[in-house]
Amino acid sequence: MATVLHLHELSKKYGSLQAVDRLTLQVEAGSIYGLLGPNGSGKTTTLGMVLDVIRPSGGSFLWFGRSISKETKQRVGALLETPNFYPYLTAKANLQVVADTKQADHRHINKMLDMVGLGTRSHTTYKGFSLGMKQRLALAAAMLNDPEVLVLDEPTNGLDPQGIAEVRDLITRIAAQGKTILLASHLLDEVEKVCTHVAVLQAGKLKANGPVGDILSTKDQLVISAEELAPVLQLLERLPYIVQFVQDKNYISLTLSEGYTSTDLNRDMFAQGIVLSQLLVRRKSLEAQFLELTQK
Amino acid sequence: MNLIRSELRKILQYPTFWVIMAIYVLLQVLLIYFSSNFMISGQSLGKSLYDFPNLWMRFSYIAYFFNLLLGILVIVLVTDEYSYRTLRQQVIDGRSRTEAVLAKFYVSLGLAAIGTVFLLVMGLLFGLIYSSDTSIGAIVGKIDYLSYFFVQAVGYMCLAMFFAFLIRKSGLAIIAFLAWSKIVEPIIHYQIDDRIDRFMPMKVFGSLTPTPGQDIIDGLTTPTMALSPAWAVLPALFYIGLLVLASILLVRLRDL
Repeated sequence: MATVLHLHELSKKYGSLQAVDRLTLQVEAGSIYGLLGPNGSGKTTTLGMVLDVIRPSGGSFLWFGRSISKETKQRVGALLETPNFYPYLTAKANLQVVADTKQADHRHINKMLDMVGLGTRSHTTYKGFSLGMKQRLALAAAMLNDPEVLVLDEPTNGLDPQGIAEVRDLITRIAAQGKTILLASHLLDEVEKVCTHVAVLQAGKLKANGPVGDILSTKDQLVISAEELAPVLQLLERLPYIVQFVQDKNYISLTLSEGYTSTDLNRDMFAQGIVLSQLLVRRKSLEAQFLELTQK
Repeated sequence: MNLIRSELRKILQYPTFWVIMAIYVLLQVLLIYFSSNFMISGQSLGKSLYDFPNLWMRFSYIAYFFNLLLGILVIVLVTDEYSYRTLRQQVIDGRSRTEAVLAKFYVSLGLAAIGTVFLLVMGLLFGLIYSSDTSIGAIVGKIDYLSYFFVQAVGYMCLAMFFAFLIRKSGLAIIAFLAWSKIVEPIIHYQIDDRIDRFMPMKVFGSLTPTPGQDIIDGLTTPTMALSPAWAVLPALFYIGLLVLASILLVRLRDL
């Protein structure tokens, strides 16, 4: 698979604050790559650097294997922080200005306005738009010259539930067209619902990255109970793939190491003549996982 | 071309632009119309003010004061791009930083052209009505002052543009622009030798439209060392280039 974006030891320092610290990662074509981290973790700074508006203090990045240029920029549609438009211009006039900049075909403008559901509001000035409409206009602008890659920074930030649903629906529809999406978010469930890959950032450092399934949900928690807990506890001590276990009144919760499932545990218990009365796989809450990841 | 079309889209639909231009035109018409009542040495200037060919010199001197207004308009247009974050978006979308600055320089050229054409129309209007001599020779006699005014207007707007890119906030940039052109540099002029200060930017721009009747004043006091308009063009162009270059460097070196 082709690499769309390659970051190598990318860093940004603001005075004594290390906003982004030697970040290395790759975004493959066709993936929906989530940049996950709390506020102030360096997500926007990272996107700002690869979008050429913030100068890196160190490291490098390549778009499609090349350094950034007018040509690579035309293959990327981006929305950084807030939707940025002229408040006194209409939705359509704003997109005309964007089309001039991107040297995009002006005939696409109406199509894009329809796609984001603003077709009937194309002659309303931007300042009269709700936040959700502004965000959708920004998506229309980003999509204007049919880019291969879409970079979205907190696209649902500040929206009401309906707005969030609309924007997420748009993102999934765009992704279904086979585009690569790089999405920054502090919302775990957003990343989990929308993304295929994720990089977890904290204080500018990369904490973990890989496919969403690997990062956000491998170490499921098991809850077991049996008539007699004592032999179970004894066995758990000896089983090599138990990461940790805690007894809680009349049940035990435990974590397995990677590659093992509840089946393995059940088989070993049964082989030792222990019959479990309960075996429950409980997915760890995303918040708990996130805190675990960032507190490492 | 794309660059200019884009700027036109933004400006022509911007109410602030039309308001400032209306003020520019209105105030200038008023001043031109009523300046014939000014008294100099107990004598009204009268209709002789509108005599060709000196009319061009007088009118461009009047228009000189309104360059401040054009400068403020340029500051508003530039700082808007920062407050709306549209400069940032343009760079993300593929505009180079140099192009972003040049776009505003072209806007300045356009505004200077509008100001010059306006002055030409006003000159012809008042001159043909009131001038005692309306022969072609008299009309085109000192019409080159219009071109000096054009260079001067561009110079003022480039200074304004530089402060706008430097400071990025409209209020502060306007204060800096006014303070430099009307207070700080004039104070420096008093402190240093005339032979040197005549080459300073505001002095050079000012020399392009000399005070009418300067020759009379010079006869009474020591003559000024100011450059003649024709001689001031070259240093003025130099400062314009310098200001545009400095603006480009500023935008290229900083985060957006």
